[in-house]
Amino acid sequence: MRSMSPPRPLRLTLNDRPVETSCPNERILLDLLREDLNLTGTKRGCDLGTCGCCTVWIDGRATLSCLTLARSTEGHSVTTIEGVSPATGLNPVQKAFVERGATQCGFCTPGFIMTATALLRDHPHPSRSEITEAIAGNLCRCTGYTKIIEAIESAASGDR
Amino acid sequence: MHLDPFELYRPSTVEEVVRLTRDLGAACDVLAGGTDLLPNYKMHINLKPNLVALEEVEELRSYTLERVGSMTRLADLDRDTDFARAYPGVAAAVHEVATPLVRERATVGGNLLVETRCFFFNQTFPWRQSLGFCLKADGDRCHVVPQKERCYATFSGDLAPALAAVDASVELAGPDGRRTIPVLDLYDPGGDGIRRHRLRPNEIVVAVSFPAASRGLPANYQKLRIRPTFDFPELGLAAAGLVESGTVRSLAIAAGGLETYPRRFDEVTRPLVGERLNETNRNAASEAIMRSVRPVHNTFLAPDYRRRMVGVYVRRALDRLANGPPGVPG
Ligand SMILES: Cc1cc2nc3c(=O)[nH]c(=O)nc-3n(C[C@H](O)[C@H](O)[C@H](O)COP(=O)(O)OP(=O)(O)OC[C@H]3O[C@@H](n4cnc5c(N)ncnc54)[C@H](O)[C@@H]3O)c2cc1C
Ligand code: SF4
Ligand code: FES
Ligand code: FES
Repeated sequence: MRSMSPPRPLRLTLNDRPVETSCPNERILLDLLREDLNLTGTKRGCDLGTCGCCTVWIDGRATLSCLTLARSTEGHSVTTIEGVSPATGLNPVQKAFVERGATQCGFCTPGFIMTATALLRDHPHPSRSEITEAIAGNLCRCTGYTKIIEAIESAASGDR
Repeated sequence: MHLDPFELYRPSTVEEVVRLTRDLGAACDVLAGGTDLLPNYKMHINLKPNLVALEEVEELRSYTLERVGSMTRLADLDRDTDFARAYPGVAAAVHEVATPLVRERATVGGNLLVETRCFFFNQTFPWRQSLGFCLKADGDRCHVVPQKERCYATFSGDLAPALAAVDASVELAGPDGRRTIPVLDLYDPGGDGIRRHRLRPNEIVVAVSFPAASRGLPANYQKLRIRPTFDFPELGLAAAGLVESGTVRSLAIAAGGLETYPRRFDEVTRPLVGERLNETNRNAASEAIMRSVRPVHNTFLAPDYRRRMVGVYVRRALDRLANGPPGVPG
């Protein structure tokens, strides 16, 4: 068995709901989400900051759960891919990804959706270069990015 | 990848941080955004049993155009158009760090003290073990320049050269109180390359401050890397100065990504002050700087190519200061 420090209480807001849990100091947010809280939509790609598959929002900012200590989220708000859809159906970015074929194996998709949804929330009408700039921390090994960029553009223009 | 256990402290004042780190001595690391420290910990590089997190310290998070707290997130600087107008070269360097997702957590202080990098060092424990550990972590020899005294890992922070070019200072706090030093004095050109800074034991970076004269000074930053995102600098060249109708009024050039510490080339730029900039003295300056740097083969691009690009970037930097609008990012 791997040794762990004793679990400590952790309170955060997760997908708009207050959550009380506990975890050891060395728990990484990605592991807390996937292994302790069963939120497996957030993916583990590289585990080192070099792929963007693990993107979540912390206080609304898209960032990497693999490089964040779970305990750093004490008192903060975390949003995962499970928390960005309306009560039924998909959000406009998700819909556009489906309709435009912006997903192939799908492993990178939750990360892209988190990044793109945050982008359109802050900049509802981004230029193409603002889009490519915003997704510069998310890697996709399948699509070649064209369809991803088109999907984000189409979600922004409401043209689907 | 799971981390080994550690004790985690989350103090809320600089004084508490200093007291804690003094009590814990060498058995602790400070944790800022964690975007450099946590990947290294995941790879079992130089683990410590205690981490002192700085994120709850209000003073470190505050920032103005004169004084930027060490816990200021790079994404916040990147979004700040006033900051870009005030310090175009530094803003360009901030924008080039890592990726937008990393910059949301990465901090200014962490960037100044980012661990130096090397092929043989930024690897997992089993990788390093299979080759034989090196001087910088767990071993006794260097695989790049075979000997047992000095490490040649490359300083790969983007902000230090850009800050050095505009004469920025760093404010430090430690057991002996506070002091302020020029940015480049953080680094130790005479050291063994293993310890990457000259902080006194348990000193932390509190803030970066800018002299009034640097506000609005034309400046630029050019970064060499394979991909225009993600990658650390294989060369980061910062230039700042005033060139009025062809005559150099002030000039500083600094570089990172080449050696174990960032450097400024005052011996080359000082004689140009008061001179008219022309192709001859521009090329001579670029040649002199290129000849003085000594990159080794421990990053992706070949050292000779990186050196030659120093020459190219110096010429471009000077042309931009002479002709271009201030701070067009490289
Ligand atoms: C995919 C990826 C790409 C990257 N690309 C780049 C790049 O292009 N350019 C670049 O410069 N960096 C890059 N980085 C490294 C890193 O993200 C940045 O350097 C960042 O600014 C580090 O800040 P941090 O707050 O995350 O530091 P941390 O990881 O928290 O700390 C880094 C080091 O500094 C020490 N430290 C931090 N703050 C202080 C302080 N106030 N006082 C004393 N010591 C302190 C820590 O103890 C630690 O040793 C990259 C990282 C990743 C994961
Ligand atoms: S330069 Fe040598 S000692 Fe330093 S990290 Fe690389 S192999 Fe290790
Ligand atoms: S898993 Fe976090 S960036 Fe790759
Ligand atoms: S769809 Fe396969 S990695 Fe992007």
